[in-house]
Amino acid sequence: MLSRYIHAIHTEDPGLEEPAATRERLKERFPRGATRRMTQPGLLIAAALANLAPGEDDTLVYASCYAESRALESYLDSFPTPSPTLFQTSIHPGSVQQAFIGRQQPVRHFFPHTGRPQLVVHALQTALLAPTPRTIFCGGEERGTWLREQRAASDRTFAFALLLTPEPAGALGKISLVATDGTATERFLLPAFFDALHARQAIDIAVAPGLRLMLTWS
Amino acid sequence: MSFPAENTSIRVAATGCLTPFGDTDATLAALLRGERALRPTPVLGTEGGDAVPLALCPGHTLNETAPPSWLRLLGQLAEKIPGDGWGSPRRPVFVTSSNFGVGNLHAFRRTRDAAHLAFATPSATVGLLQTQLGWGANVSLLSHACVSAHLGLLLATRTLHAGLADEALIFSFDFLSPFVTGGFHALKILNTDFPAPYQNRDTGSIGLGDGAAFAVLTRERGDFAVLAQSLHNEMHHFTANQPDGAGFDACLAPLAAAAAHRRPWLKGHGTGTLEAGRLEAGALARAFPGAPLVSWKGSLGHTLGSCGLVELALAAGALRAGRTPGTIGSAAPAFTAAVARESFDNRHLDTVLCASNAFGGAHAALLLAAS
Repeated sequence: MLSRYIHAIHTEDPGLEEPAATRERLKERFPRGATRRMTQPGLLIAAALANLAPGEDDTLVYASCYAESRALESYLDSFPTPSPTLFQTSIHPGSVQQAFIGRQQPVRHFFPHTGRPQLVVHALQTALLAPTPRTIFCGGEERGTWLREQRAASDRTFAFALLLTPEPAGALGKISLVATDGTATERFLLPAFFDALHARQAIDIAVAPGLRLMLTWS
Repeated sequence: MSFPAENTSIRVAATGCLTPFGDTDATLAALLRGERALRPTPVLGTEGGDAVPLALCPGHTLNETAPPSWLRLLGQLAEKIPGDGWGSPRRPVFVTSSNFGVGNLHAFRRTRDAAHLAFATPSATVGLLQTQLGWGANVSLLSHACVSAHLGLLLATRTLHAGLADEALIFSFDFLSPFVTGGFHALKILNTDFPAPYQNRDTGSIGLGDGAAFAVLTRERGDFAVLAQSLHNEMHHFTANQPDGAGFDACLAPLAAAAAHRRPWLKGHGTGTLEAGRLEAGALARAFPGAPLVSWKGSLGHTLGSCGLVELALAAGALRAGRTPGTIGSAAPAFTAAVARESFDNRHLDTVLCASNAFGGAHAALLLAAS
């Protein structure tokens, strides 16, 4: 069994809030002018990470199926004169890099996962295998526009960040991957994982052949 | 703060790559002959633009088709992967790429042909690969630009050491499209000049290339071992490194300690950009004094998220052959005296350091040696 204790959690569930409104809502949390070029996922991930005080020796794991959807849309729209800024911003871990570059905070181990059906279990496994005392597991999606209509972007915007350690004292909860003999699996995508975190709901589900995901709250 | 390398001592049971020259043996032979795969190619494909140095695999055009022409090439590469049952609970697969099928998203935006959407997201692309190659569901996807392959190698290593797998497959690919060539051209580092890695000249430039590779890692068998691995993310700037080279030093220092009693040669990242090339060559010279340094991106171009695995396969081939290809495309003066422009006999050396870098000041490196 792989397990860690949750010592801090932050979730952002802005619903249908547009990026400009998110920027306005969160701008006081960042240095003056810092949010001008940040994307909505960048703002939300940065806000989610802020209270977790990430450090250089933490392991950082990021999970997102579609990542920077609107930057990607805008970059594609910029052809035939592609935008260099949007090219940089649209890369998969762009939101986390915005957050960390904004803080000038190096981090040694950073694992950006993507995918869809097994994204939660694989990103969690990476987090739970980390050899460092602290692991930050973060993730999220951005509601797309024309990519969403083509089912190539999320229909929801959300972000989360968890601080995980092996220390049970004072923990808010516990998250585990438990080996089983079962082969059946249930569909468990990143939005469902976020919903459980946001509502502090327990999880006990077969997420992959031979693996159960268990989340309990103190 | 000092941070130790992960002393992994994991075996490489098999490795192979695909480049515009062909498989590992064909690519190594071409590099040893000093050949360049890069050719002047319109940066936006059929849409035109500057002729920039690109290296495309035979049968793959820059403008994406639906299905992508590179799916067949990946099938050919996968035929060389030993064993079966990949993607089952004890035989995980780690697929790493910077771009996956994003070229098809650009093609959809340009042509409105919905057939491209079936390949347009990482999960869709890899889902098709799973079906084509008969893989099970235990397939992790990682995307961290040009250090992606190194992350797959490290996670596969951790999975093996935790006893969660018997063998692990890392599979990495990146094929060029106007999406990525247009982006690098907009950044003004992909221009009409050919790359000259580590050459001290007035203007830097890179080339881009198609690449795909695999490695099978185990605990017990294989004639090579990954001795240690190291990562570091500067998070200083999206496209620039800390000007004092501290990010390179932070990644390399643990590996220099791990290689203290070894005789290494160095396969650097070496894309051909000036500032990063100068910083990298300087940091490598400090960490591994006297060790010869090469880059092969002046021939193959930068194969992006696959470069770490493509160049690992070539480094293993060079160790096996006893001869290391030189830094093709470069001329004097070099940033440091350690830069080897010509191929050299490596039989007096016992280890190779393989390094890759990426956007965000991401660094990854490993030590490979005969086991």
